[in-house]
Amino acid sequence: MNSRPDDALVRAAQQGDRSAFGLLYSRYSRMVHGILLSRVPYSEVDDLVQDVFVQALPRLTSLREVSKFPGWLASIARNRATDFHRRSKPHHEFSEESANEEIDPPPSSNPAAHSSLEAQAALDAILSLPETYRETLILRLVEGMSGPEIAERTGLTHGSVRVNLHRGMNQLREILGDKAAPLTGGEL
Amino acid sequence: MPIDNDYLWDGTGAPDPEIQRLESLLGEFRLAERPLALPAEAALVPAKPGGLLVQFPWLPRLAAAAVILLAAAIPFFLPATRLTPAPTGPSWDVANLEGTPQIGSESISAHQSAAKLYVGQTLTTNSSSRASLSEDDLGEIQIDPNSSVRLLQSGPNHKRLQLEVGTIHAAIWAPPGEFVVDTPSAVAVDLGCAYTLRVAPDGSGTIRTTLGWVGFHLNGRDSFIPAGAMCSTRRQIGPGTPYFEDASESFRDALRTFDQSEPGSDAASAALARVLSEARAKDGLTLWHLLSRASGDERKRVYKRFAILVPPPQGVTRDGILALNPPMLDLYWNALDLGDISIWRYWEQSSGPHPSPRPEQLQKKALLLKKSPRP
Repeated sequence: MNSRPDDALVRAAQQGDRSAFGLLYSRYSRMVHGILLSRVPYSEVDDLVQDVFVQALPRLTSLREVSKFPGWLASIARNRATDFHRRSKPHHEFSEESANEEIDPPPSSNPAAHSSLEAQAALDAILSLPETYRETLILRLVEGMSGPEIAERTGLTHGSVRVNLHRGMNQLREILGDKAAPLTGGEL
Repeated sequence: MPIDNDYLWDGTGAPDPEIQRLESLLGEFRLAERPLALPAEAALVPAKPGGLLVQFPWLPRLAAAAVILLAAAIPFFLPATRLTPAPTGPSWDVANLEGTPQIGSESISAHQSAAKLYVGQTLTTNSSSRASLSEDDLGEIQIDPNSSVRLLQSGPNHKRLQLEVGTIHAAIWAPPGEFVVDTPSAVAVDLGCAYTLRVAPDGSGTIRTTLGWVGFHLNGRDSFIPAGAMCSTRRQIGPGTPYFEDASESFRDALRTFDQSEPGSDAASAALARVLSEARAKDGLTLWHLLSRASGDERKRVYKRFAILVPPPQGVTRDGILALNPPMLDLYWNALDLGDISIWRYWEQSSGPHPSPRPEQLQKKALLLKKSPRP
């Protein structure tokens, strides 16, 4: 497995090395998949993952600090999700009233054809959480990424990821009807 | 569940049966590896010009023919005055929504298509006209009557508008931090949202966010305005303290008084007391900002109330917040669930106004997180 650091891969890709970009795709596609899964219907995610990387490639030269690649790519993924919802809405004149509508709603009630009911219920429960929590929990519980990996891949701090996982999991347990013990003063 | 649950964090330690069950169930939705299908001609150049030529190879010939025809027609249509070169370069699309908005001295008629606003040009509306600006990678901006906007910058990752006076309604899908609006009293940085921004003739303004959140800053004074919140700005002072629109009238009045009073005065102290007594947990947004706007005993009062309404997260201490420790303030902000402040910090480092101390602060933040004691 290629062990080149991500910064070196980004620089190489910026110079036109498509294989380097392919390696970045293999390293970051799970993150992009998880971010999109937290925002758009499951049936659309795979194609949108491809879209994100196809969009990112020509813009890579404008990324001045290669160390910012993870957060930069995560932003493109989130905005692709927002764009998906905007373009799928019927066109109407922009107004304050329409701006008050939720443009990027959680993608619940859109079952995958092959998923079990219980799995879909678990996913729907996560998708009902606040955006910050649902994204981090999906990266952890669906994509199988560890906390440190989530921080490294998304550009978030370890502290942010830890808080998101902890609070998100607490809320998820409540939704799923878990009878967890109430939080004490020693816990968050 | 304690925050140091190792299994949730990195899969080590004693397995948590509930988490294991969820991992097993949710694995159905995990990414199925498939190769990246890049277009054969995809290259590391800006997509738009190359993309069009790949899809429509006859475009250059058509464009050349159009240029020849236009050049031949020019003497018949132009007045007998010296020719001025047409603007070139990056531009945004302009649509006439009502009346006759103008770009410079040129009116945009209702039936005119493909009007463009180029960098350096100003779009104005009078009392009976409205317009919209759009750019594929940015979003849409609606300009209300009696407004004047100037396009300052339109690069691949940096788009900048100046709102000299009037009102705009923005719906932005560009990456966070890519779209910035200058006003006489503050700079609005889009962090992924929809908002309304107003500038009065005296340069003061307000911003009201309807989706996502916006950063508002001037001279080192930052305000973060999430959906459902508002913030005012004043010329030479910059952004005021944000608040949620559904806060009580008493809360909002007191906050306005505090913002406008001399720091440390009796009026400021009395106003702060009203703010703190009226504050709900949701008003943690306001209290977080007040931490850096109050000082001495006032800051202690703010922290005391804030900590009751929003318990401080792991890694945050009273002494640290009272000293305005930046990493702790960031952790506390993230605990409000209003938006990840790392997005703002990323913008600051890549294109914001703050000078070199940020890298040192990041090092301190990394050290602080490593040293945070576990419960």
